[in-house]
Amino acid sequence: MTSPRPTYRQSVALVWRTLRSMRTALILLLMLALASVAGSLIPQLPNSPGAVRQFLADHALLGRFYLRAGLFDVFGSWWFVLITTLLFVSLVACLVPRTRGSIRAIRQRPVQARELDAFPSFRELAVGPPPEAAAEAARRVLRRRGFRVAREGTSVAADKGLLREVGSLAFHWAFILLLAGVIVGKGTGYAGLAVLYEGETWIDAQANYDGQVRTGRFFGGDFSGLRLTLVDYADTFRTTGQPMDFRSTVEVADLQGRPLGTEVIRVNHPYRRGDLRVFQFGFGWAATAEVARGGEVIAGSDPIELDQDPAPEGVSQLAMPWRGTIKLPGFEPQMAVDLQLWPDGRALLALIDDPSAPPSAMLQEFQPIARYRVWQGPLSDLSTHTLDTRFLESVPGASGLIGGGESHDLLEGATGVPASWPADLTIRFADLREYSVLQVTRDRGVPVVLLAAILILVGLLPALYSSRRKLWVHAAPGERGTTLKVGGFALQRRERFDEEFERVVADLVRACGSRDAEPVRSR
Amino acid sequence: MSVTEWTRVANAAFDVALFSLIGAMVAGFAYLAFRHGALSALSRAAGMLGAAACLVAIVGRGLAAGRTPWGNMYEYSLVMGFLVVVGHLVLVEGRAKVRTVAGFSYAFAVLTLAMATLFFDVGPAPLVPALNSYWRQIHVTAMITASSLLGLGCVITMLYLVKERWEARELARLHAQDPPPIMGGSTADEPAAADPSTLPRRGGLPAAATLDRLAYRFIAFGFPVWTFGVICGAIWAQDAWGRYWGWDPKETWSFITWVIFAGYLHARATSGWRGARAAAIALVGFVSLLVTYYAVNLWIAGLHSYST
Repeated sequence: MTSPRPTYRQSVALVWRTLRSMRTALILLLMLALASVAGSLIPQLPNSPGAVRQFLADHALLGRFYLRAGLFDVFGSWWFVLITTLLFVSLVACLVPRTRGSIRAIRQRPVQARELDAFPSFRELAVGPPPEAAAEAARRVLRRRGFRVAREGTSVAADKGLLREVGSLAFHWAFILLLAGVIVGKGTGYAGLAVLYEGETWIDAQANYDGQVRTGRFFGGDFSGLRLTLVDYADTFRTTGQPMDFRSTVEVADLQGRPLGTEVIRVNHPYRRGDLRVFQFGFGWAATAEVARGGEVIAGSDPIELDQDPAPEGVSQLAMPWRGTIKLPGFEPQMAVDLQLWPDGRALLALIDDPSAPPSAMLQEFQPIARYRVWQGPLSDLSTHTLDTRFLESVPGASGLIGGGESHDLLEGATGVPASWPADLTIRFADLREYSVLQVTRDRGVPVVLLAAILILVGLLPALYSSRRKLWVHAAPGERGTTLKVGGFALQRRERFDEEFERVVADLVRACGSRDAEPVRSR
Repeated sequence: MSVTEWTRVANAAFDVALFSLIGAMVAGFAYLAFRHGALSALSRAAGMLGAAACLVAIVGRGLAAGRTPWGNMYEYSLVMGFLVVVGHLVLVEGRAKVRTVAGFSYAFAVLTLAMATLFFDVGPAPLVPALNSYWRQIHVTAMITASSLLGLGCVITMLYLVKERWEARELARLHAQDPPPIMGGSTADEPAAADPSTLPRRGGLPAAATLDRLAYRFIAFGFPVWTFGVICGAIWAQDAWGRYWGWDPKETWSFITWVIFAGYLHARATSGWRGARAAAIALVGFVSLLVTYYAVNLWIAGLHSYST
């Protein structure tokens, strides 16, 4: 016999029931953990794009599979979003009825019970006062112990520990709040890097960012327009080369140019203005190397920001020179001057002495020295950061070392100089200063996320440590005065409840004021 | 005293701590095997000496480095070893009055200290600027405390699984036996012996139910502390790195560990998952804890790689 096809309603109900079950939630939680494991073991594009490129180069086939499966960006992949969404749907499906039940339980007064001797904890006492007075005394005792109490004549019902469920609900709902904070914050926010050399003014606008600006899906393009002028950048290092402090002193002005004061931005001490935060992110050297023709500067009048290549295995990053390029696209063939800078000239000498020895604290400006080299050929781009030498040829002999403030004949002693190039070219190492890399971020969700985190923590404590317990007291005329029956149970932490029960009984005995009150029957 | 002198004091105290804890561990196991009261007392005394020596090593290290001594893996491991011992002495022996698991707790502490001296032994040194924040004290203290508590909980969970297996086997054996004739041979009732509490003791481990409850308490204590530590880390990351969460390997693994222990706590409240199944989740959590603690620093590059 085949079972009848389930109706649409039944299918929906089945899916809903499955989603609500703790088993589903558990499995989804473990799947989330598993996905995160993958995300930590495989290099991730947002965190380390270089490692991803390396991986793709080393393992072509596996890399292609990873790329397809979204394993290079696990936390942004459709399946990670799916697991998270399902988990949240399951959470809501579970929370809605629980919240309703909890509200009902809070509204409802404790319900009377009939037979008390069936409860795990039970005691029968003989006390002096008449039943009505004994019940009232019991009510007061339980009230004082923090129970919610309802008395109907000679019957008292009490419960305690509703906070457990309330805490648990707050803990779980807080995740919805957390998600909302994350979505709103990341969705309407943006983040990018601003590179400023000392003396430069930078305005918060899309075009002024270095590289890509990460903008949220719902970001309306409303950059703040804040103006930052880097007055000074300072870093301090220990003699080992270990950094101690990086600080950018910045003059801030608003969109209209009204000054907002001078701020110091350091690691761990970002500058805040409204939702906008500016962080100290990095630093580097900016050199001005002017190329002049007959005394007239034709290129390199502005400082160019130099970068370091990643150090090869076994070489300290500190030993790497700073690189940049001046490009002269107006010449035929086009010209590029490649620069390598050592802010401390002694570092270069040490490097020539022993290429493998790491420099010690040669990171500050001291007799800076730059090595230049002239190239000819078609330029791939006009960036000062990169030099694509695939189509270029170096001009033999057109290279040299140049100290701060010095001036050289660029093509002196060179051979094979294109005839179309002017001969009276000079290069002058005019200026060296530092640049600072600031991370600019707007995340409006941060306060919401923080609130959610606090709720998670505050809710967790009663959810784990509080316990739900119920107690009843019945007073009735007995053979000797009044018989008081006390019964109750706890849903959690039962050993602790046993002790509490004893204390309640002792309190009852004391409250009923009769010294001869004694347990008649206990189980 | 000078930096080198404090370093020497700290190193000497570390050695004392390691050897006293090894002694405490051996005495603890011996007590489990022979149930001689003096062995337990010896184990406890050696444990206290070990804890005191750890404390001296921590303080000495802090004075040598001129900062709170939790700035690298060596120091974390030292503090964690200390907290494991204190946790055992105060919570397991003090509060829960369980004395037979001492050998295992001390073994955990000894392994932690041995890891520190074998793999992470670096001299006291100043910190990079990003670590220079008061959040470091709060975040790191919370994480180490939580790791110690969760770690102890998981060690006890392992013992629970062993004991539970044994109890189940023993019950099955007793059920299989012919019930002894009782007053005329009525066999209608369950044999009285088929109750875990009346089973003969094996090596003196507490009943599985006791171990289970104890393990749960440790994890239920450690979990909110872990949560707090992760939240503090996020607050700190917001200031130091410009985002409260960035799926850095250490962040990811602390999240994985959190999720697994959250799963454990939920499993204990779910019928059909209690007992051995929940315990298995806790053990997965333990592995994840160790990965979070050790592997991320040793093998996975990220923003938390501060000690290699």
